[in-house]
This record gives sequence, structure tokens and C-alpha cells, in this order.
Amino acid sequence: MIKRFILFLTLVSGICLSLGAQDIPDPMKPRRIVNDFTGLFSKQEQAALERKLRDFNDSTSTQIAVVTVPTLDGYDINDYAARLGEKWGVGQKGKDNGIVLLIKPKNNRESGQVAISVGYGLEGVIPDVIASRVIRNEIIPAFQQGNYYKGVDKALTVLTDLSKGEYTADEYKKKSEGGGIFDIIIGIIIFAVLLSFIFRRRGGGGYSPGHTSGGGFFIFPMGGFGGGSSSGGFGGFSSGGGSFGGFGGGSFGGGGSSGSW
Amino acid sequence: MKKSYIVIGIIVIILIGIFTWFKGSYNQMVSRSEGVSSQWSNVENQYQRRLDLIPNLVNTVKGYAEHEQNTLTQVVEARAKATQMRINFDQLDEKTIQQFNSMQGELSSALSRLMAISEQYPNLKANENFRDLQAQLEGTENRIAVERRKFNEDVKTYNAYIRSFPKNIIANMFGFTVKPYFEAAAGAEKAPEVKF
Repeated sequence: MIKRFILFLTLVSGICLSLGAQDIPDPMKPRRIVNDFTGLFSKQEQAALERKLRDFNDSTSTQIAVVTVPTLDGYDINDYAARLGEKWGVGQKGKDNGIVLLIKPKNNRESGQVAISVGYGLEGVIPDVIASRVIRNEIIPAFQQGNYYKGVDKALTVLTDLSKGEYTADEYKKKSEGGGIFDIIIGIIIFAVLLSFIFRRRGGGGYSPGHTSGGGFFIFPMGGFGGGSSSGGFGGFSSGGGSFGGFGGGSFGGGGSSGSW
Repeated sequence: MKKSYIVIGIIVIILIGIFTWFKGSYNQMVSRSEGVSSQWSNVENQYQRRLDLIPNLVNTVKGYAEHEQNTLTQVVEARAKATQMRINFDQLDEKTIQQFNSMQGELSSALSRLMAISEQYPNLKANENFRDLQAQLEGTENRIAVERRKFNEDVKTYNAYIRSFPKNIIANMFGFTVKPYFEAAAGAEKAPEVKF
């Protein structure tokens, strides 16, 4: 009798586990905003994205999660991104100001896919058309050249600027036709990030978060890092840890767009 | 004498207990039912959004693909039918929701045929306006899928709540009825592909 019961229990838990495995993955631990399940980015690239996004989160509470997954488990990518955003709670509860940038890299069998899923609260500033343009103009061209970091970074720059309200969606339309100016901004940012790495290296192994952020403050006079020195918000990236406070419980309604390359 | 006081006291306490339980359950049912109702309007809003997109889409396609009158007419007709169909939350039952579903389904398939033929017109595909509409349509289909899923989830918790014993007694007394689900017909759980 007991044996049977145990058998039953293992069966049930087995079923539960296998159901869970097919589902959307859990966020990585320790908590971070860039969840690169496929190792698409190098360590430095990850740290740079992470820093950028955490800082944006700190200053605006808007959370942009960058996620790469090896497979979509048969979901449509938009659906997957919205479910993931909802499950992880990207964005703040009540504000619903989260964005999920989901990438399923190209492999031998399938083409790559990318989606931007926009939380309810940001649908106004980033309508589907704009999300679609960001994918077409910023992401896909870079991805086609295999330069994932560049594509993501460019897209994030646009998305952060839009959701910051720095310029309206209409302005971006005009700018995307002009082109050029983003390259310069990105160039400066990459340069600055590189510099900050050099500075960090020079500091040796035993740097303190305060020290680094001081350096960041010095290097990025324009990058909105101004308040950053107050906390360890982007303290320990190099170790993979850090103090990202986690996602805030934002909700997603399926807004956004997708593309493939 | 004292004994009867105790008895009365116990009865009063029991009555208060029953009343609190009654009130709690009833209020829960009301608020859950309201939740389902507002989720239903979210679903309808997203379908409405799709309906609103179609005239623009049809006009844009018309400019490039005049030979496809047939498909265009089908879309327009399916839209006209679907426009007439609006369900109040009170009328929502198995039958009406199925009707609603099949009408919107007809429109979905007419739309996907339209999108499939647009593939054959390079000029149309390159048209910025068309691409925008395509992105909007894609986003709308996703929103429909999400809101439908949320509706089904809300209905599930609501139904489970009003059907569980002994709450079902209260539900029966006050006419809380089981709400229908969206059938997952035609892969409705997943957003239809709007890629071409």
C-alpha cells in the first residue's frame, strides 16, 4: 500500500516536473536584468548591458529585460515574450513599465527570432509600429552581421530614450530616416564603457563598489550616471552578482513586435 | 436561567459566524464576477481594435493588388459581420461566446489569406504604411491572444470558486452562474502567425 502510494507520488511529481520544464524558464540567480541563457554575449558585453539597464531602472523604474533563450518550445515568439514578462513581472506593479527584449539566436536548423514585448504602461510611448521599426532598423541589420551586442545596444538606446520621454515616438520616425546620429552616440557609449573597464582593471582585484561608481561618474558626465555613485546599484558585476532588486511585478498585454533574420 | 443565556450566546456567535462567512463569500463572488466582466471587455476591446485596423489595411492593399477583389471582399464582409456581434457580459454563455468566436475566427482566416497574397506584391511589402499596419495587426493579434488567455484564467478561478461546496449554495441563491471559456479552437491559445 505504502509502496503504491510512493509510486503514485513520484509519478505525480514527475508529471509536474515535466510540465514545469516545458514552461517559461525562471529568472537566473542571482537576480539580474540581462538573462543570457544561450551565452550570446561576452562577459564584458553582458556587464555593459547590465549596467546600462540597471542604471535606467534606478533612475526611471522602467525595467528592460534582455533575455536570450535557446528554444521557444513551440510558442510564437511574441506570445513567449509576453508570457515571460508577465511571469517574471518585468516592470513595476501598477505602472506596468516593463519591456522584454527576447532573442532566440539563429542555429543550424532555424532562423533567429527577436521580439520586443511592451508592458501595458509603455504601450503609449512605444507603440507596435515603433517596436517594429526598432527591430527592422536597429536590430536585424546588426544581427545579420552577427553583431548581437551592437544590435541590442542600439535598440536599448532607442527604447530607453523613448520611455524616458526624451523624444516622442514621432520624432524617432524622423530620426530613423536621417540615421547617423545614433552611431555617434553608440560610439561614445561603447568608448566610455571600454574606458571604464580599463579603469576597473587598473584598480586591481580589490576594488570597492564605491570606487568603481566614482570612476563611472567621472567618465560618464552625460550618461545619467550622476546619481549612481550614491549606491552600489551597479556594484559587483564582474563577479556576476550584484544588487539588482529584482523585477517588480509588471504586467504585459501582448503589445510590441517581432522579427526574424 | 444562566444556562439559557449561554445557549443564546452560542447561537448568536454561530449566527454571526454564518453571517460573516455568508457576507465574505458573497462579496468575493461579486468582485470575482466583476473581474471576469472587466476582462471580457478587455477581450472585446482588442477585437474592436482589430476591426478598426481593417479598413485602413484593405485600402492600402487595394492600391497595390487590385486583382485580389475576391479576398478583399471576403475580409470586408467578415468584418461587417463581426462588427454587428457584440455581447453584453450578462448574455455571455456557451452559445453566444461560440458565435462570437466563430465570427472572429472567420475574420481571422480571411485576414490571413489577405496577408498571404500580399506576399506576392513586392511594392506593397515595401510600402512603409503597409509595414506599419502589419506591425499593428501583429500586435493586435498578440493582444487578443493575451487577453483571451487572461479571460480564461479569470473564468477558471471564478468558476472554481462558485462551484465549490458549500459556496455553491450561496451562488445558487443569488444566481451566480458558471461563465463559459473561450474554446482553444484553431490554436487560439497561441497567437496566429502574422508572418509571411
